[in-house]
Amino acid sequence: MIYKVSRIVSLFVFSILIIIPSLIVVFGSTKTDSEVYNKPLALPEKWSLDNFRFLFEVSNVGRSFLNSLIVTGFSVTITLILASMCAFAISRMITVTGRVLFSLFAVGLAIPGQVNLVPIFILFNDLQLTNKLSGLVLINIVTTLPISVFILTAFFRELPKEMYEVSEVDGATPLRVYRSIALPLSRPAMGATAIFLFVITWNELLFPLLLITDNDKRTLPLSLLSFRGEFFSNYSMIFTAVMVASIPMVVMYLLMQRSFIAGLTAGAVKG
Amino acid sequence: MKQKVNAKAFKALIAMAFAISATVVPLSQSFAAGESLGKSCTTEGLMTGTKSTSLICVKGGNDKLTWQRVKLASGSGRPVANLTPPKGEIEFWHYRVELGDQRALVKIISDFEAKYPGTKIKQVVRDTTTYNNTARVAILANPKAALFATSRGAIFDQFAKSDMMLDLSGQRYVKQNVVAKGLTAGQFEGKQLGIPYQYLFNNPIVNTDIWAKEKWTTPKNLTGWVNWCKDAKAKGYVPLAWPGATRGQAAQISNSALMNSAGSYNELANNLADLNSGKIDLTSKWFEGVADIYVKLRNAGCFPDNATGVTEAAAYNLFATGKSPILPIGTFAMGSIVGLNPNLNGKMELMSMVLTDGKVVAEGIMNNTYTLSVNKNSNSRDQKIANAFLSYLLTGKVAEIYANETLQHVNVLDVEYKNVNLLNTVSFQAKNTMLAPRFLLLNAAVSDLTQDALIQIVGGKSPDVVLPDFSKQIKQKLAG
Amino acid sequence: MGLPAAIIFTGFYFVPFIANLRYSLTRWDRITEPEFVGFRNFVNLLTNDDLFYKVLGNNLRFTFLVVLFQTLFSLIFAIFLVKNTRTNIALRTLFFFPTILSSVSVGMIWLFMYDPNFGAINLFFTRLGLEGFALNWLGSESSALYAITFTQVWFHTGQMMVIYIAGLQQIPQELYEAAEMDGASRWQQFRNVTWPMSIPTTIVVMAYTTIQSFRAFDLIFAMTQGGPNNSSNIFAVLIYQTVFSELRIGYAATQSIFFIIVLVFVTLLQRKFLNSRYEK
Repeated sequence: MIYKVSRIVSLFVFSILIIIPSLIVVFGSTKTDSEVYNKPLALPEKWSLDNFRFLFEVSNVGRSFLNSLIVTGFSVTITLILASMCAFAISRMITVTGRVLFSLFAVGLAIPGQVNLVPIFILFNDLQLTNKLSGLVLINIVTTLPISVFILTAFFRELPKEMYEVSEVDGATPLRVYRSIALPLSRPAMGATAIFLFVITWNELLFPLLLITDNDKRTLPLSLLSFRGEFFSNYSMIFTAVMVASIPMVVMYLLMQRSFIAGLTAGAVKG
Repeated sequence: MKQKVNAKAFKALIAMAFAISATVVPLSQSFAAGESLGKSCTTEGLMTGTKSTSLICVKGGNDKLTWQRVKLASGSGRPVANLTPPKGEIEFWHYRVELGDQRALVKIISDFEAKYPGTKIKQVVRDTTTYNNTARVAILANPKAALFATSRGAIFDQFAKSDMMLDLSGQRYVKQNVVAKGLTAGQFEGKQLGIPYQYLFNNPIVNTDIWAKEKWTTPKNLTGWVNWCKDAKAKGYVPLAWPGATRGQAAQISNSALMNSAGSYNELANNLADLNSGKIDLTSKWFEGVADIYVKLRNAGCFPDNATGVTEAAAYNLFATGKSPILPIGTFAMGSIVGLNPNLNGKMELMSMVLTDGKVVAEGIMNNTYTLSVNKNSNSRDQKIANAFLSYLLTGKVAEIYANETLQHVNVLDVEYKNVNLLNTVSFQAKNTMLAPRFLLLNAAVSDLTQDALIQIVGGKSPDVVLPDFSKQIKQKLAG
Repeated sequence: MGLPAAIIFTGFYFVPFIANLRYSLTRWDRITEPEFVGFRNFVNLLTNDDLFYKVLGNNLRFTFLVVLFQTLFSLIFAIFLVKNTRTNIALRTLFFFPTILSSVSVGMIWLFMYDPNFGAINLFFTRLGLEGFALNWLGSESSALYAITFTQVWFHTGQMMVIYIAGLQQIPQELYEAAEMDGASRWQQFRNVTWPMSIPTTIVVMAYTTIQSFRAFDLIFAMTQGGPNNSSNIFAVLIYQTVFSELRIGYAATQSIFFIIVLVFVTLLQRKFLNSRYEK
């Protein structure tokens, strides 16, 4: 009885805690600012997309959206390629090299790349990689490699060894084995990792904040942050921007819930 | 001087001069060329604007107040046309990335290039942080960067010490087109190394409708403000819509508090320089006085409830919705306010906030956002192009485009402001204004901690606790 | 084949790491030339920097509370939602939802929720007549860090819950059946079956949450930027401010070294604690 009551109450409370802020944002994005302030929970007086139109007119949020897409697309793809190759190599090498490689990334996993913000900032300035999307792609790859290598190594290790051995006997090069056997088999693991990387890269703030100062090179989280002070002091606009930044994720989440949950969980479990 | 009766202009003038009046007339049009007034002037120092034809109310020889042509420029004579550039291309380095600035500059440059075929101005734009960190070295190595911007204070000083700016004091357009008062921020060791272009008022703005409805008059001193706050609070208002959670904007009112905290501008500047270098700390007699202003305002209920949690957005909202009659931030907030409540367009004025019961050094705050300089290391042809383009920017018609796009004031004579809020606030320039003193705290850590200390005091803490605590923090930062 | 990844990672992780050690021995503002100062930054940091200790305290408190509550709540919700019924799956989807948002979005949303004059939280309390609970959440030194802690827990509990559910579903059903035969109460079932069996998952959840809490830069930067009066400041934000607001590169580098030391220390401590439980 106590169990049942506390179960229902706590599930209800947490649901409300998620639903209410979400509704405030959704409604807020179609309201005027004074409606947001004075009746945050009420339905908008009239549903209108004016805020969205205004946002795209006065800010270059469209540009930021594109930047985020480019940066995330390249970062995730390249990280996946590099990490899967590396993970494959680690899982196939029982030698010292494999162990060294593995521990290299283990350090990176225990101590996140964020601690390097001072030297990264200086190094990227010296290499003139600031204010470049390619610079962001590079640093995203570096910060997400350890976890990707970990997830994928765990996966490759679970594959039966016999599968490789057969083809190795046939004299196939490791690269060939990787391409024709390991890669097709690792589809689900790659998919899960991709989603995990997509979410964290899309939402990343620290390095864009560090490396991007040009308005035209901003990613979405950075634009969102700048809206707070620069163009609007206006919550209905901020909520509109939150909507724009979140919609791709929400749509993907609703369409592919299972893979999303699997991906974001894999990131933690395998790590 | 024409003696045509112009009732509309006169009403507008009254509104502008007092910053508030019982019958506020929304200004729908700018002053016509050749402003003039049908009535005799009643308030000394009253001025009709920043044009070469503007008038000022002064005491004549017979002790009577009469209108006289105001002399705003440092030289005599009407503003001059711009210089003609030679053919060639230069780079114009600056950090004005804002949309309005970009729209204006693109238009101005294309007009200029159309007027002088063969002459090209290439904009090199960086955001403020990057610019401040890298531009000096980059421009030193790049003579093509013939025209560049610097911000008032530390950055301008750094550039000036690098001996990379041409002295412009001999130029006629500087003497005759620029508001003389606005030139100081570009001076260094007696030379005019930069022309401050844009300016704004980091000074409280007021909702004139509320002010008229409550029949308030501008408080004259600290005691007056304390009483006003009590009255406004009793009437259900949040007297000052102060954003304690957003340090940069919470700090704006400190300009008003600092403004009359010392016997003179120089004394204040010395105090701030000493605070900046660690020679004195927040427990100094002078700063205790500044803190005491905050205590008095706090105790009088001037600040919002939970003031330290009020974000910039919330403060704007308090003001825009009429819950608060004063937004102690500055003219640059007016655009956002109109966005939040279009009805307030034309219903906002600047109000002088004298927070002392002693000697009044200044009545209001202004600040030059940036100055423009010609590169000393460029070749003479490029310098000529830069000079010509600068003189072009400093003609009334061109500066007008810039002012009306950016919705900020410019230091240039004969500009007609189209925006009603700019128009309503321009005459504040004629008051005894001070360049925003808080920017004299050049060390960011010292500046931030000083503001944080004041915010803590508004939050309810005693200066006896806060000032020693923050002095210690400042000391530790300066040691690191 | 692992070479490209290894080279990039070494070049942009380990090389900067070493460079950081070098910077920590200088005083440098990026405008003038760096000045070699030996270990002065280290000495200053340890002996003459109250802010450092304040931030250290904040960071440890934040991490402890986030790890405690996030683990607790995610375990509780996992137990509640472990069965694959339609309602449970819908609720899991809902609870997981915040995880996909960006920290900046979450920060903006909660900035509004916590607004003392307009926010939904204070509105709720005042409507109920509980004005005493309507605090100046983010504006007061005593509550800002806890308000952010709550947001962080809100943000990631769903993600950890899903991990727990995966773990709980691995527990053989026979164990519960056997316990029920013995007449064990729900609480006894939890103590004797669920908890011991979910310790491996707990290790994962806690380790991940710890790293996550040290990386809460985005959320804090979006909400309070460490204020008021540094009461919600953590290492990552402090280092950022030292570099960008104060241009003290050398000092920031020194701060990062201590950041790493603390992070490694906390992680090791936790491992040790949990492993001892596990071995029992």
